[in-house]
Amino acid sequence: MEGAELAGKILSTWLTLVLGLILLPSAFGVSLGISEIYMKILVKTLEWATIRIEKGVPKESVLKNSASVGIIQRDESPMEKGLSGLRGRDFELSDVFYFSKKGLEAIVEDEVTQRFSSEELVSWNLLTRTNINFQYISLRLTMVWVLGVIVRYCVLLPLRVTLAFIGISLLVIGTTLVGQLPDGSLKNWLSELVHLTCCRICVRALSGTIHYHNKQYRPQKGGICVANHTSPIDVLILTTDGCYAMVGQVHGGLMGIIQRAMVKACPHVWFERSEMKDRHLVTKRLKEHIADKKKLPILIFPEGTCINNTSVMMFKKGSFEIGGTIHPVAIKYNPQFGDAFWNSSKYNMVSYLLRMMTSWAIVCDVWYMPPMTREEGEDAVQFANRVKSAIAVQGGLTELPWDGGLKRAKVKDTFKEEQQKNYSKMIVGNGSL
Amino acid sequence: MGNEASYPEEMCSHFSQDEIKRLGKRFKKLDLDCSGALSVDEFLSLPELQQNPLVQRVVDVFDTDGNGEVDFREFILGASQFSVRGDEEQKLRFAFSIYDMDKDGYISNGELFQVLKMMVGDNLQDWQLQQLVDKTIIILDRDGDGKISFEEFSAAVGGLEVHKKLVVIV
Repeated sequence: MEGAELAGKILSTWLTLVLGLILLPSAFGVSLGISEIYMKILVKTLEWATIRIEKGVPKESVLKNSASVGIIQRDESPMEKGLSGLRGRDFELSDVFYFSKKGLEAIVEDEVTQRFSSEELVSWNLLTRTNINFQYISLRLTMVWVLGVIVRYCVLLPLRVTLAFIGISLLVIGTTLVGQLPDGSLKNWLSELVHLTCCRICVRALSGTIHYHNKQYRPQKGGICVANHTSPIDVLILTTDGCYAMVGQVHGGLMGIIQRAMVKACPHVWFERSEMKDRHLVTKRLKEHIADKKKLPILIFPEGTCINNTSVMMFKKGSFEIGGTIHPVAIKYNPQFGDAFWNSSKYNMVSYLLRMMTSWAIVCDVWYMPPMTREEGEDAVQFANRVKSAIAVQGGLTELPWDGGLKRAKVKDTFKEEQQKNYSKMIVGNGSL
Repeated sequence: MGNEASYPEEMCSHFSQDEIKRLGKRFKKLDLDCSGALSVDEFLSLPELQQNPLVQRVVDVFDTDGNGEVDFREFILGASQFSVRGDEEQKLRFAFSIYDMDKDGYISNGELFQVLKMMVGDNLQDWQLQQLVDKTIIILDRDGDGKISFEEFSAAVGGLEVHKKLVVIV
């Protein structure tokens, strides 16, 4: 009996602490500064660790590691330059050199497949999962690492799981309750409050530190918000600072429950799987949504899949055909504290969330950008590329024309045909045929 | 894959230990089914390679023993021919073997036609291609046997510093 009483007392103290220090401040949107102190300690520790690693490892291998983040130096010259200085002539036997070289460059290191796996860090951040060249450096470093493991798994993980649990339950209960009210401004206000509070709790559940830049460009009602996609947590990060109407497929299980509850309080746009294939239907529903200026801005991720946050891949044009004002947002995670990329072929949702909760923290920057609209004579694809470049520049990411769907699918033959066409034009160029 | 800690000297590549290690990591990543060798499908899983018209030829040239797959040794030796430390003859040999599909030491009319066809696809008519091929062979074929030998190839292509183009800096 005593054991049960003790356990009961501990549990209630724990819950009271959590309630007082985390939940209530979240409801009011204030911060007690505990996470800031944690982050400061973390940054100092990681800096110390980096210095120790650099001291411990012999000089030349450190240089090599940082100088070549890639394996090879790529030659980016286009086909015209690569083929021969004096073009306008016929076919030369040496033309084959260009294609072979490009082929080998792609074999040894290509731009696309590396985006579908986590970024490699330049210096280790004391997490085993990011360890690529583990070497024993010193006893102190190992001790700090062990301490880190204990802190992360025994102290932070239970706390975070508790918070996540509370956050999700509150969301489901809160939105169901709010959904009972008649439509009106009170309902909207309450639904916003519920959404914001629960999102803040969930962000605390991941020890998230988010910096919002340029808040004056925050997406307005009746607009469409587009952002680069790294993980499902992107949604959480954006909704902590404002309410959005989400677009997505109806899922089963826990996600389905959350989705059904959310749509009661706020008009999100959830599609049945069968409907997603019918693009016109999708476009029509989205158009109806933004036509109503009082509805919340729609949140869309045009890449269509998760990319590892080092680059921005092709934006699918569907989102840009709807019309309306586009508000671009760039999201960049700091990989030093925790890798947010969801490699869906390697980890399922639950393992992914556990990895998130056992990292140091999730630190990211969110830049809101000035709104953009489609210009005269610009088609959806060009507009999509324009927005994509803007986001890439703002977030400091590389821009790639490749489709994120290549994670699972093959390249269309049109790419090869394009290369062939270019080459043919060159050898026939001067009309000597 | 076996023990990659030691790379036998008979590798004869132009790479340093460190470069071999990096290429080894890459090889492992490309080897999706962990069979120890790269099949054409595994190469084609690279989007940038799928758009390259000559991918089949490059893989064939790498595959020196002709078993349809490229094992690690063939991979290193193949990549080594692109090394900045390689000499001109090695590179010219590589380029020659891109054309010489049956590896008989001569580029025949038919082989040249096929490789050219790969590079232009359907954008030129067959008779236009055949004209180009015939013209090239007439110009380059010195001994009049209707085929291009390695000597004739080097004479045409070498000496223009073109071999410097066949370099990938690891």
